Amino acid sequence: MAGDYRRRFTFNFLLKLINPALWAGNQWLGFQRGAASLWSRAGLMPRPRMRACKVAEGHLAASLLIVLVFAAPAFALDGTQLLKQIDRNLNPESFEMYRKLINVEPDGRKKEFVLFSVKKGLDKIAALFLEPASERGRSTLRVGENMWLYIPNVGKPIRITSLQSVIGGVFNNSDILQLDYAAEYDVVNVDETGNEYFLQLKAKSKTVAYDQLKMWADKNKKLPTKIECRTEADMLIKTLYFKQVKDFGGGTVRPSYLETDSPLYKDYKSVMIFAKIQKKDFKDEVFTLTFMPNIDSLRK
Amino acid sequence: MNRAIPSILLWGLILSLPGLGRSADEKEEYKFDASEIEKKPYHLGGYGEFRPVVNGLDHDAALYKLRFYNRDEGKTTEEYNFKLLIDGSYEKDNARFFLRLSYDLNNTYLGWKDDVTPYEAFLSLKPSHSLTLDGGKKVAKWGKGYAWNPVAFIDRPKDPDEPDLALEGYWVLSADWIRSFSGPLKTLSFTPVFLPVFDGINDDFGKTGQANIAAKLYLLLYDTDIDFIVFTGGSRTTRYGVDFSRNITPNLEIHGEFAYIEDFQKRYMDAGGNILSSTYDTASYLLGLRYLTERETTYILEYYRNGTGYTEDELQNFYQFIDRAYDQYLATGSSAFLGRAQNLSQGNYGRPNPMRDYLYLRVSQKEPFDILYFTPALTTIINLDDPSFSIAPEVVYTGITNLELRFKATFLVGGEGTEFGEKPNDYRLEFRARYYF
Repeated sequence: MAGDYRRRFTFNFLLKLINPALWAGNQWLGFQRGAASLWSRAGLMPRPRMRACKVAEGHLAASLLIVLVFAAPAFALDGTQLLKQIDRNLNPESFEMYRKLINVEPDGRKKEFVLFSVKKGLDKIAALFLEPASERGRSTLRVGENMWLYIPNVGKPIRITSLQSVIGGVFNNSDILQLDYAAEYDVVNVDETGNEYFLQLKAKSKTVAYDQLKMWADKNKKLPTKIECRTEADMLIKTLYFKQVKDFGGGTVRPSYLETDSPLYKDYKSVMIFAKIQKKDFKDEVFTLTFMPNIDSLRK
Repeated sequence: MNRAIPSILLWGLILSLPGLGRSADEKEEYKFDASEIEKKPYHLGGYGEFRPVVNGLDHDAALYKLRFYNRDEGKTTEEYNFKLLIDGSYEKDNARFFLRLSYDLNNTYLGWKDDVTPYEAFLSLKPSHSLTLDGGKKVAKWGKGYAWNPVAFIDRPKDPDEPDLALEGYWVLSADWIRSFSGPLKTLSFTPVFLPVFDGINDDFGKTGQANIAAKLYLLLYDTDIDFIVFTGGSRTTRYGVDFSRNITPNLEIHGEFAYIEDFQKRYMDAGGNILSSTYDTASYLLGLRYLTERETTYILEYYRNGTGYTEDELQNFYQFIDRAYDQYLATGSSAFLGRAQNLSQGNYGRPNPMRDYLYLRVSQKEPFDILYFTPALTTIINLDDPSFSIAPEVVYTGITNLELRFKATFLVGGEGTEFGEKPNDYRLEFRARYYF
């Protein structure tokens, strides 16, 4: 932590030194929003009067070099660190939990699902359906971008995709088998507005279900309050609302209630309620196709 | 001013009451009780099913003549099928006993018939997360194909019209040993299986009085599922298999299976109606893909080469033999030749897809027109050698908790001497209501 502050202090000091030169360089290079956000967060957004600055060519080159050396790592550190902090506040890195998913139709009819989930590290998660009876025993497994579905009657795991939904409704497989956000997304931009952080996230690869996320997070708790899931063309697919922060014990204080709506499913909504989130370590062998029929044996 | 403050607070409190009430309701509405996630040592579940069927008969088809030669059932037959599938388990420490029992009650043109079959009944011991030992009746379900599985050496053949149905297993002793790694090889698991065949135990698997061994080595390598499979023993000839499955893109999966079978013995009929036998090494294979579009249409496409299947001539010889046997029955009243054909039809000639080259295509659309839990689908199985085919539109609705409703129509299209053209029915209409408990 002390190291973080030291690096940030050094970086801010360097920014103050090179600020006028960097502004000119920025204009010249047409610097992207990442850098603009950097200025904003550093409280150093240049004012228009600085446009008049004349910069010696050598000074500009030196400034740019410094920026290239320091800016990118420091920016990545801040945005990614914040996202990683949000991830850890949401869940321990390895844990088990129970969830209830409720699909609510426009006429108020509901369909409920209960799941038991286990997660390990950055890329392994499995979920087992406990209710309703029609889904009981189904399990889903995700190892990185590989996803499988096991249906007891069918008797063997089949590969599925992140965009499919094994339960119908607004939640899809990716929502059910959510990995850490920092594992799947790069931070493109971070802004502070009032009591909130606003993070713009870009999928690290095409295999991620949503190409872009816009995340609003509580600045004090460092927990998301709202996430918009968007396509590459910025079309809104769904919005997640995080509510009812609760102490689950073991240092996990996080929203216990997640509500989702989607313009693709007008007047429908889905709710996810979290329970018994407990830090727990599992052997890697648990997250394998061969183990899928036995996930229930992990429940105590 | 001072009096206004309590007044505002009072009004604020009054106005917020409905809101508080609504909030309380909301919490009440979406409650999640601890009792819902409590684990019990035992479990009992399953489903009950009612499945009425109408078959539109094809009086000119060879298999119609074989089945109905001595009775007139009119243009259609009706079936009323009831099924109770019970899953039960009991768990204590690292041991678990699992039972899947099927009770079938059918009313067809032959009258009422019922049957109880234990699909699975096995004891599972789990000394560690890396090792599982199973003993009892169990389904293996090997292979990656959806409609066919040429590498499923120790499974009963599944019906390509209903690939998702639960199947009956065999009595086996088996183990699963799993190891995980970091790097390109993420998982390795080994599954040896011992399958004895004696009178009364697995006697429909093959030659009795024999011990058989099968094994599967599974790898998750470079994000690809790969299985190497082998079977050897006295009940069936030795066979080797390999299969794979991989996501090429997030919405495109490809899979394949290859089986090499040594000394396969085929019994077939020649043009004179003589039953011949030939033994040869052969290969069966399957290539398939599963593709999900942005509009959530799923395509499953598979090509299946059945090396153990019949040629067009071999199948036509069989149908022509039935025609001749039927003519003889009409002329003399003797059903001896028809009986011989019936014996053959209970073997390889009676398999769901007895020929060599098939194409399977299933297109399903999840929740079209924003109708939640509603899935229409269209499935076709094409015999590429005839060519004849079946085409089956269906709709499934799962909007009522634990109730699944399906309506399916199957039309069989093919000329004389073709596989689908010689089946006893032209079409089949089926409704299925399944309630899970």
